[in-house]
Amino acid sequence: MPSINVNGVEIEQDEDGFIVDPSLWNEDVAKALAAQEGISELTEEHWKVVNYLRNYYLQFQIAPMIRKLCKETGFSLKKIYELFPSGPAKGACKVAGLPKPTGCV
Amino acid sequence: MPEYKGLKMPAKASAEEMRQIHIEPVPDDQKVEMAIQYLDEMRKKFRSFVLAMESCVKCGLCAENCHTYLGTRDPNNIPTNRAELIRKIYRRYFTLEGRWFGKLVGAEDLNLDIIEQWYSYFYQCNECRRCAHVCPFGIDTCEVTMIGRQILHWLGIVPKLHASVGAAMERTGNHTGLTKPAIVDTLEFLSEEIKDEFGVDVEFPVDKEGADIMYVPSSADFLLNPYTLMGAGMFFTYIGANWTIPSTITEAGNFGLLFDQQHTMRHNFTRLLHAAQKLGVKKIVWGECGHGWRAWKMYLPGMADLPLRWPITHIHDEVAYYIRTNQLKLDPYKLGRPVTLHDPCNYVRACGLAETMRTVIRACVADFREMYPNKENNFCCGGGSAILFDDPEMYQLRIKFSQKKAEQVRATGVGKDGNGILCAPCSICKAQLYPMVEEHELGVEVKGLIDLVGMALVWK
Repeated sequence: MPSINVNGVEIEQDEDGFIVDPSLWNEDVAKALAAQEGISELTEEHWKVVNYLRNYYLQFQIAPMIRKLCKETGFSLKKIYELFPSGPAKGACKVAGLPKPTGCV
Repeated sequence: MPEYKGLKMPAKASAEEMRQIHIEPVPDDQKVEMAIQYLDEMRKKFRSFVLAMESCVKCGLCAENCHTYLGTRDPNNIPTNRAELIRKIYRRYFTLEGRWFGKLVGAEDLNLDIIEQWYSYFYQCNECRRCAHVCPFGIDTCEVTMIGRQILHWLGIVPKLHASVGAAMERTGNHTGLTKPAIVDTLEFLSEEIKDEFGVDVEFPVDKEGADIMYVPSSADFLLNPYTLMGAGMFFTYIGANWTIPSTITEAGNFGLLFDQQHTMRHNFTRLLHAAQKLGVKKIVWGECGHGWRAWKMYLPGMADLPLRWPITHIHDEVAYYIRTNQLKLDPYKLGRPVTLHDPCNYVRACGLAETMRTVIRACVADFREMYPNKENNFCCGGGSAILFDDPEMYQLRIKFSQKKAEQVRATGVGKDGNGILCAPCSICKAQLYPMVEEHELGVEVKGLIDLVGMALVWK
């Protein structure tokens, strides 16, 4: 199984690059995950999306509806794809340390 | 993607993930023996399976009727050849000629390579049953895929996607892992959205005891399909229904149908009946989900281990009834965009919803254009039975599987000006088509059917 080393801590990932234990997430982990996604620098706009997802996940144990993510961050879906080329679920949620979404998504 | 002798296959659930769905994986050195034993049990139990094993004359009609073969041109994706992967084993162990003459009559010993081939090809079948529809002998090759997947499940071989859905269903009562606070939060958000966009007050009651109607939506609607939930909420509000959404089973799907038609499917049924009893409802109305509707409509009556005290209807049938009796005012000119309809396979080839969907869509859309072939002859979207794998190689297969659908949509011309709508009223179809309409550059947006009802409603 792949893993990522951040500040000396080995963090396990699943086949798709999602971290297995969401509690090991921190901002440095986000930066390392973003680098794997081909995002060289996390801008203020990236952090707005990541922090919203992270906080929603901590409160509700799941990702928000994509429409809600767009509304709350003020970004269109197109803009989110520009920020996270793999999209809101497979890109943004991954960087925010959420587990991989399951079901018909 | 795991590599196995050049076969394409989705990531497998780990042993620990299989244990979460109550299966102890069979060790490699016992797999062949156990698979033969399971196959023996299946053939004794299911005559439809024996029919498929004994009656095929290899006329080949199924080949050009299967979108997975048309998209990949892989001979093992010809339905009869896919079935042959199991038929040759059946012949070897359960027929006289196979036991005596072996390879001379197309029989073959089972080995681990063939089991891996089963995994690869039974999870390249969308279980759409178009081959069954055209077979002159009435062989339902989908039944062979289903039995193949059942045996693989018992051996401990299931895609990660399907196993994680099974585990999420057991943990939370839905496939995506929604918690009750998340359900309530999302529905409150949608109430505000409806107020903003349509100017009407709609409430989504959750776990309301004494409601008349229990509405069971697809859990994917809470993440990806806002207008499907909004449309349902607006419809129930419009007709003045006393309704509720149960948080203990916020799931129209039943992945049991897709990988384990025994334990998993039955447990989901039981969960539904418990929820209906607890809330004291009078009727259950089903949301937009193709495979799920087949499971609940066609399998529940035969598999429920409790008395069935509630009528279960599909929301499309409910809306169609209100349209036919002139109780809904819908303005088909409100939308102002061309629309075509993708018939979800399970609705039209298993549940008879083809005309119902047309009654609804014609009332909601002025510029409705049929795609061809359609209704029970329609081609699958390429995501059927949750072939929604997203690792790069499996994703490429999904693009190939949806090639036929893309040709059909293009031929309608709805996407010519880039403002078309592809109505696909099933969560798996939606999840498959959202990225596929982009891959094939079809110029359409994917929506459900209840979405269009909500948009066309005229409020007093």
